[in-house]
Amino acid sequence: MSAQKTAQDQDDVLAMLADSINVWVGKLSEIVQRIVDVGPIRSVVNWGRIYSLWPVNITTACCSAEFGAASGARHDLERFGVLPLGSLRQSDLLVAEGTITKKMAKRLRMIYDQMAIPRYVIAMGDCAISGGLFHDSYSIVNGAHEFIPVDVYVPGCPPRPEALEQAIIMLQEKIRHSKVYERG
Amino acid sequence: MILSQEREQALIKKLKDRFPSEITEARVVRRSRPEILVKPENLVEVATFLRDELGMDHANGVSGVDYNREARFEIIYHCSSLQNKETRDIVMAIKESIPRNTPKARSLISVWPGVDNFERETFEMFGITFDGHPRMEKLFLTDNWDGPPPLRKEVRFPTD
Amino acid sequence: MTVPEKPAPLAAVESSRTADSGPQTLTVSVGPQHSGSGHMRLIIELDGDIIVNAAPDPGYVHRGIEKICEVRNIIKSIPVIERPAIIDSSNLNHAYIRAIEELQGVEAPVRSQYLRCLLNEMNRIMSHLYWLSIFGVFLGHTTMFMWPLGDRELFIDLAEKLTGARITHSYIVPGGVRRDLPQGFADEAIKRIAYFEKRLVEYDKIFFNNPIFTSRAKGVGVLPRSEAIAIGATGPTLRGSGVDADLRKDEPYAAYSKLDFGIPTRKEGDSFSRAIIREEEMLESCKLIKQILKDIPAGPIRRKAPIVVPRGEAYSRVESARGECSFYMVGEGGDKPYRVRFITASFRNMSAIPVLLKGGHMADMTTAWWSVDYWPVEAGR
Repeated sequence: MSAQKTAQDQDDVLAMLADSINVWVGKLSEIVQRIVDVGPIRSVVNWGRIYSLWPVNITTACCSAEFGAASGARHDLERFGVLPLGSLRQSDLLVAEGTITKKMAKRLRMIYDQMAIPRYVIAMGDCAISGGLFHDSYSIVNGAHEFIPVDVYVPGCPPRPEALEQAIIMLQEKIRHSKVYERG
Repeated sequence: MILSQEREQALIKKLKDRFPSEITEARVVRRSRPEILVKPENLVEVATFLRDELGMDHANGVSGVDYNREARFEIIYHCSSLQNKETRDIVMAIKESIPRNTPKARSLISVWPGVDNFERETFEMFGITFDGHPRMEKLFLTDNWDGPPPLRKEVRFPTD
Repeated sequence: MTVPEKPAPLAAVESSRTADSGPQTLTVSVGPQHSGSGHMRLIIELDGDIIVNAAPDPGYVHRGIEKICEVRNIIKSIPVIERPAIIDSSNLNHAYIRAIEELQGVEAPVRSQYLRCLLNEMNRIMSHLYWLSIFGVFLGHTTMFMWPLGDRELFIDLAEKLTGARITHSYIVPGGVRRDLPQGFADEAIKRIAYFEKRLVEYDKIFFNNPIFTSRAKGVGVLPRSEAIAIGATGPTLRGSGVDADLRKDEPYAAYSKLDFGIPTRKEGDSFSRAIIREEEMLESCKLIKQILKDIPAGPIRRKAPIVVPRGEAYSRVESARGECSFYMVGEGGDKPYRVRFITASFRNMSAIPVLLKGGHMADMTTAWWSVDYWPVEAGR
């Protein structure tokens, strides 16, 4: 009994120390959040996020042809900072292009979970909004919002590249006015 | 352009001469489209004859049709020949009927290796098993659909 | 819908192991999320750096189009039929309408046959340019990503003037085509084609004659002639292996019997042959478009055709950009078909991919499989 008591005392001291450091660090991170999420620093951080929205290298269905055309020479998406480069972990944008089958939905959800915060989703095409032309088919999911949170919806079958550019601009506006630590 | 149906009639005659009892029906549907109806148990020999003697060196595809009102499935193999330029337009349809409640058929993968994926698709869409196929599994519908084979007529759409 | 659980780990590979794969092979899943794959997965077994076995895992874009066609009437099915190969949509549309017209016994007027050929050839060029740009980016040649997509916009503008839509034209209907040539179309088209033919010379300089490309593509992904025929390969994949099969010459449809063009063919069967054949096909298509615009007769563009699928069966096929696209249609009266069987070129070429990847290096995998122009959406339908 006495051996346990001394162990408990030692544990208590360490635990109390750990707790107080925890509280101190927690309060510190709250303070950092409050400082960053205000005026100038927030604008700078959001400016960095807006002009480097890197999408994931995943194509879902036929809207990928218009995404490809939008990345091409006439409607260059790279001038908005959109460049599919690097790995999944370094990407911030998931463009659900076109019809999402149940088989692809599982993978899209895995990809969304693996992306680092902040992450944004554009549902491109009628099929990603509500199932589109194939809405009654046996193998598809009626819309991307069934399993991932969507930020911008782009209608069209397929949407013109100009519509996709407008979607990126809308997303940029949305990010510009949002808090830095909001995404969770 | 050849307008008569001589070449197609000649092909059918050769087939009927060689397999008088195995081929139950034979006709020319329209230009360049002869078709024969074969008993399921003789399918492999007829197909081998088509490939070796009549030069049908590849299969264009395998289709399954669900004639549920007649309680049968029909499997159609389309094949054609690339050897001579003059006969490249002919697509021979080889049909077989199997009963709907015992959907089993012989695979033609030993005759035309290209029918591999088509037979797998017919398996997953209709539930017809092909004996002799090395990998009788789903092709497109893994994780996509866990109900009955979707192209059967009893599977209805919500909007139908 | 709740969060889907993770899929089972690579069960397909266990059953795809052959006698060749020894205990030392490593299984790699080149999955849908990959900068060198399309909307499909390749399950590759490696022995060191050499590919022992490659199994395609399609189905990520399987939308059940054959079943959808049974519940929509034939006009409403046209957009659905076009979507598999959206960059080459009018060829698929043409095959579908040919099957319906055979069943109905309707023949479209001559002017509309020429217009169908015109749109088909424009789509062939558009599709090959898209393929070329993705080929460039897969090989790391980013200029070759930008240039073909930019030149493709020339033809997309023309298609928009003719049909009203960029890539999903829905232009060919039973009995003819929907719209006639607008004013000034022929001059505009000829100017653009002259510019494009000069651009192809520049493509030769930076890509097709580029020593980096030739060393990466020559001898890679060889498909021998006998295997190409037996496995059912079609289109440039087959023509790259020495068989000069092209439905526009073998079974002429629309106005192709009246037009003069060649069929590029190569004997080597490697990725370079397939690539260079597509470039030559683009040149032939330019020639065809110029002929069509010169020779097109006056006349009506659409004959009245009912929205009905009469009793009977029809098999129709068309040479799309990737190869032979065929339809087997069974009608029973009424406005909806009883059965539509839709076999696309990529579905047939899917069987060729394991054959030509086997024995190659993993680093050459992307060059080899993309040179077949396997479009997973078209294979999955």
